[in-house]
Amino acid sequence: MIHPDVKEESVSANLLRAIFSMRVKNWPNGMLIKVFVLADEDHLHHDFSKDKLNVFPYQLRQVWDRLVFSGTGQAPTKVSSSDEMLVKVVNTPGAVGYIETAYINDNIHILQIK
Amino acid sequence: MCCFLKTIIRLIIYILLIWNGAVYAQKTIDEADNKSIVASVTDWVATTGMLDTFQLQGFANQAFISTSDNDVFGNSDKGGSFGFTEVGLNASMRPLPRLQLSAQGLYRRAGKGSSANPRLDFAFADYRLYSHETNQFGMRVGRLKNPFGFYNETRDVAFTRPSILLPQSIYFDRTRNLGLSSDAIHLYADSSQSNLGSFSVIFGIGNPIVDDRDTEAAIVGLGRTGNLTSNVSYIGRGIYETNDGRIRLAVSGSSTKVDYKPGGIDDLLGSGSVRFSPILFSAQYNTERWSLTSEYALRFFTIKDFNPSEFSNRDFVGESFYFQGEYRFNQKWEALLRYDVLFADRSDRKGKRLARSTGLPAHTQFAKDLTVGLRWNVTPKIMIRAEYHRINGTGWLSRLDNPDILDTSKNWNLFAAQLSYRF
Repeated sequence: MIHPDVKEESVSANLLRAIFSMRVKNWPNGMLIKVFVLADEDHLHHDFSKDKLNVFPYQLRQVWDRLVFSGTGQAPTKVSSSDEMLVKVVNTPGAVGYIETAYINDNIHILQIK
Repeated sequence: MCCFLKTIIRLIIYILLIWNGAVYAQKTIDEADNKSIVASVTDWVATTGMLDTFQLQGFANQAFISTSDNDVFGNSDKGGSFGFTEVGLNASMRPLPRLQLSAQGLYRRAGKGSSANPRLDFAFADYRLYSHETNQFGMRVGRLKNPFGFYNETRDVAFTRPSILLPQSIYFDRTRNLGLSSDAIHLYADSSQSNLGSFSVIFGIGNPIVDDRDTEAAIVGLGRTGNLTSNVSYIGRGIYETNDGRIRLAVSGSSTKVDYKPGGIDDLLGSGSVRFSPILFSAQYNTERWSLTSEYALRFFTIKDFNPSEFSNRDFVGESFYFQGEYRFNQKWEALLRYDVLFADRSDRKGKRLARSTGLPAHTQFAKDLTVGLRWNVTPKIMIRAEYHRINGTGWLSRLDNPDILDTSKNWNLFAAQLSYRF
């Protein structure tokens, strides 16, 4: 799911992986991407990493740590619950995150994965 | 040349900042003609989300090291030592969508070779010149970590290392500053293709930092009164990764020339130079539980112009490699097994020629290190680790910590435990 200002309907799996790997930093319209994730050990994070991004959570952690501690990138923002995820993504321009289907309502903009 | 490069780097940073500042200021002013300048500046900060992008991270590692013989990071063979400490603080922000500023301060206490004063590890500006879908091209200027192999850029952060001590055959702690960071300009390009995988390439030009005593001792020996200065050096790395990150392959290369200027008339060494050009091949295979990693390096040395009676002018090639397996039992526990080999001169692998010509022990010319280790991720922020090394040879031992080479032991072992914290 994304913040409505991003104005993207869909995204390729490849671009989505690059976004969550923190390599791509801007949406096609130039807006800065703000990535929100749950904790490494969270089940939804685990499933999202494996099923949607096709990488293991430990690989994402290694990628983020390499970026942060070499200064060549930044880490995503960690949220502690799905409720917080919802609030952050809806209120932060440029935000992208993931959420369980049970939380989906009309206020949320869903990004389709091509 | 060094000053020239620094001036260019400064100039580029200023131009980027002024150019971007102007573009954004113009936009903001156009949008809000009637607002005061103060309001425009506030708008600029708000619209660019500058403060939202500020991140602060840090780490602290404390190790206990005990050796049967030979000293590693302190007096480790007399019951062990707590002489290995690393503390880092890291900040970054994105004042503009295309610009990132990052800096890290590092305090490192590790035997006599490390000064134990806080130092600026890196501080640079990263500007994206081109970004489209998954293709990126950009430039970094400032003090930068040298992109070399899989681990060099984050070698002081325990959480990113496979073990307490990195494979010493390639990631020498003895001459670490030479390979660590440089005042440099890097150009980088990343591209990821949905059917092929991702490619990333970095090329850099800069001045490495060589004025520490351990690097000096490793290059020209102990007790020299003169100084080392570095010339412009080059570095490059290409990484290929499958989209799922299962396979990672990399080639890294660099070339550095270091000059020695004698300290005075009593310095018998005279002036001379050492050119050091390593090439490193890296490969990694990742599954949910396993990571198998191997790196192989050839290190080309050219030593010339020194006073021949004091120092042998020669060309030689050093060789290093390791095989490493990491196994994740679950999110909490990981095990490590590694075999790491160093030959100081691949045409004299057993060191016999050196022993004959200089009388120094042959075992100073190689090191074979078998390591087993265990990692416990207590919480996401706290990690405890322990490892045991069985080592044959003293090829990577620090000369400053072991000034009497004749008093070193060929077969020795090392036990290390480490507590690490991050935030």
